[in-house]
Amino acid sequence: MKQVVTALALGTLFVGAPALADAEVGKPAPSFTLKDESGKEHSLAQYKGRVVILEWTNPECPFVQRHYKADTMVNTLKGFDAKKVVWLAVDSTSHNTPEKSAAWKKEEGFPYPVLQDASGTVGKSYGAKTTPHMYVIDEQGVVRYAGAIDDDPRGKSAKPSNHVKAAVDAVTGGQPVPAATTTPYGCSVKYKG
Amino acid sequence: MTHRQSKRLGWVGGIGLLLAAAVAWAELPHSAVASSAPDEGDPRVEGALLVDATQVKPGDTFRVGVRFRLDPGWHIYWKNPGDSGLETEVAWDTPGATVGPLRWPFPNTFRTPDGFITTHGYDNEAILVADVKAAEGAATGMLTLSAAVEALVCEVHCIPAEMMLTRSIPLGPQTLRDAETAARFDAEVAKVPRPAADSGHAVALTLDAPQLTAGQEFTGALTLTGAGGAAVPAVEGDFFVAERIPGVARVGLTADGPGRFKLKGKVEPGVQASAPDLTGVLRLGTAATGYQFLEVTAPLAPVVAAAGTAAGTPAAVKPPSVKDSIAAVKPVGAVAPPAAAESSVGLGLALVFAFFGGALLNLMPCVFPVLALKAYGFTRMVQQEKGRVGAHAGAYAAGIIGTMLLLAGGVLAVRAGGASVGWGFQFQEPLFVAGVCAVLVAFALNLFGVFNVGMDGTALAGKVDQSHGLLHSAGEGVLAVVLATPCSAPLLGTAVGFAFAAGPVTVLAVFTALGLGLALPFCLLVLVPGLAKKLPKPGAWMERFKQVLGFALLATTVWLVWVMGGLAGVDGMARLLAFLVAVGLVTWLYGQGQAQEGSRKLATMAVAAGVLVASGLLTLRFDAQDAAAPRLGATVAQAQPWDDAAVEAALAAGQPVFIDFTADWCLTCKFNERTVLSTDEVRDAFTQHHVAFFIADWTRRDARITAKLAEHGRAGVPMYLVLSPGAPDTPAVLPELLTPGLVADAVKRAAECAPSKLGGGANVLCAAGFPSH
Repeated sequence: MKQVVTALALGTLFVGAPALADAEVGKPAPSFTLKDESGKEHSLAQYKGRVVILEWTNPECPFVQRHYKADTMVNTLKGFDAKKVVWLAVDSTSHNTPEKSAAWKKEEGFPYPVLQDASGTVGKSYGAKTTPHMYVIDEQGVVRYAGAIDDDPRGKSAKPSNHVKAAVDAVTGGQPVPAATTTPYGCSVKYKG
Repeated sequence: MTHRQSKRLGWVGGIGLLLAAAVAWAELPHSAVASSAPDEGDPRVEGALLVDATQVKPGDTFRVGVRFRLDPGWHIYWKNPGDSGLETEVAWDTPGATVGPLRWPFPNTFRTPDGFITTHGYDNEAILVADVKAAEGAATGMLTLSAAVEALVCEVHCIPAEMMLTRSIPLGPQTLRDAETAARFDAEVAKVPRPAADSGHAVALTLDAPQLTAGQEFTGALTLTGAGGAAVPAVEGDFFVAERIPGVARVGLTADGPGRFKLKGKVEPGVQASAPDLTGVLRLGTAATGYQFLEVTAPLAPVVAAAGTAAGTPAAVKPPSVKDSIAAVKPVGAVAPPAAAESSVGLGLALVFAFFGGALLNLMPCVFPVLALKAYGFTRMVQQEKGRVGAHAGAYAAGIIGTMLLLAGGVLAVRAGGASVGWGFQFQEPLFVAGVCAVLVAFALNLFGVFNVGMDGTALAGKVDQSHGLLHSAGEGVLAVVLATPCSAPLLGTAVGFAFAAGPVTVLAVFTALGLGLALPFCLLVLVPGLAKKLPKPGAWMERFKQVLGFALLATTVWLVWVMGGLAGVDGMARLLAFLVAVGLVTWLYGQGQAQEGSRKLATMAVAAGVLVASGLLTLRFDAQDAAAPRLGATVAQAQPWDDAAVEAALAAGQPVFIDFTADWCLTCKFNERTVLSTDEVRDAFTQHHVAFFIADWTRRDARITAKLAEHGRAGVPMYLVLSPGAPDTPAVLPELLTPGLVADAVKRAAECAPSKLGGGANVLCAAGFPSH
């Protein structure tokens, strides 16, 4: 009987562990080291002292396509002090390859790296559910914002309110983030499974 | 799907209206049918606008429905799409008519193969029905209904769909129904959950904690009873889908028997000042028995900010070191609830509350028998010696106030020891409860006339021994207080809470006021001249009244026996009852002895004393562990009793160690064990980091534990130590009020400090409680 219980407990742990470790506002962000589309390694620790923006992305997702067509990400990034803020895109799509990311980056012409997480390990450790799903991590490595890029899931608003911009401005200005958790919208992350 | 292909679809591509499919719907006008979500030219969804009337009379209500037909494997979303997706949206343009809200059938639940992403919606075919009321007016012309439909259509990948569906219905002198469509709508509306109350169902929700904490998980239970208490059918599959609840990250139900569900959820971090409701839809029954769909709404609880993290302040989100979190949480843990009382209640008001509370206590069921007894005594006394009434009232009041002050002293002493005590803490001691029971039974038997107190057989005439009588009055005062404490908690909550938080002088003042209030009725008898004379004249009724009071005392004993059951289980109750029988026998022997003379009398008294001592020794061995041990095992997993040698062995084996210094009578300890240490989050953290979990039980005095507590500057429990194998000499002392996240973080840090995992120089970091990543 005892063994059965232990086995069940271990089983639960195994299945449940990734979900338990979600990146949560107010808690230290899960650490990671990932290669980008050019093979260069990026770790969260190396950006300590700077605000890190993580963007879960997938060029095949219509929501991502809409934002890249509108240059939402690049325009948001332009509003920040490049010395203080780092933007990292993460692609956890199981069938993505560095070549696809490189081609997409060239086509869209954005400056930041696309981290390769085809195994989905980092995506699941953050609890990334949608593309786009955004995280803002402060200089000390604590998650300060998790959720949608803006308040306009349908792309209908003339003046969408950009949650990531508000969060980064608050963090760099030493202010509390006004809406620290929002519901992300978009396609589901196409994890391996 | 490759990148190039997806590019061709595009976001805007989905907007195109493809009407070709309308051929298949000859009965519908072209404008009422559209398809969208083109997947390489192949539309994945077809929408149609259906109406259950062919002609409408102005002022009448009919129904309109948007029917979705999806390719196999594709789905659209419910109003709460879940982890991803987008709510399906219908915008109406219906001049001359008003459309009611969409009626959403119970949704299916879709999961990715790894179970990581869960969404809710409809596949194959679904109709979203709404009521339409045609405006009053001329019964001629046409009514035009337009629906702009937006849906996200997903299989593995997602394609947005936009459709414009329009149709017209002639207005006429009467409404002509379309039976076929109406039947189709009825079938769909049957799947729409209705408010539980409409079908007579009662929903009861209880949470395991009185409030929700931002960023923390919560658990509870939901009970559903059918109309008139009827049984609720069993459930299967994904039977519950929560709506989007602001402030709540997720919430789910698992079946726990018919009509009973376990509730588990998590509050979003950083939520402030909200009191969310649980709202969702429930599917009762199975595919075999047929389904019933209910809409459930029940208030959860107010959300409070996580302890030590005032949400939103920049300081709150610094990576917390153990030191910081202790500094932040310690004061909260020590005085949190009373501090709240302090801010809202001044000392004067607390004293007034205490005084009137004390007076009201006279009417509480646990004190009333004593009160009645005292009234009986007064009635007798007033007739005998008026001068003594004042002295007796004084003795009674002194007994009450003296006991109150003793209690206050006890509170102060225990509090000075660093532990937190609950009101009525003395009732946590089984021997104390047994003692009070024995006194009550002896009192009752005395009233029944089994024996006499303070009077020889010859003194029955009524000569009251003065000093003894006064002591008797004082003793009644003591008994009144002793019995009053457990009753007073709800009544005196504010005043007592205030007292527990405040300084020693305030504690004494509040308890004195309480005592004065409790003594008030008898003080009044003395202070108001003539009032005492209004008491009824003594007579034969008094004997009967006295005996009735005896039964009231026995009833009070029943309650105490129940208290004992909570302390020491069924065995404890049985032992107590056996002891009470012995007490009855002893009092009877004593009564017999009173009627005897000389050596016979001495012998009887000796036997009585012998029986009392023997029975006491035999029965009064309450093992609180009997009741507590299994509970502990059930709430806190993998615990072993604390032992320095075992701790060292675990550390040597590279395991982090968590020591829980606790006691059964320590409410804070029990609260932490129930709400934190037994949560899945903590259990999982313990399992994951191979934490050796020790319990140091201080329920009884234990010199080893006392010494260990003193080593860390504590005089009492709770105390929580986390020892890292990497830095065994610098344990982290956690705050008294735990949170699952705090415990999980602490053991994680301890695990990261393991010698196997750290490089040179990291000892310093470990000692300071910093993560070493």
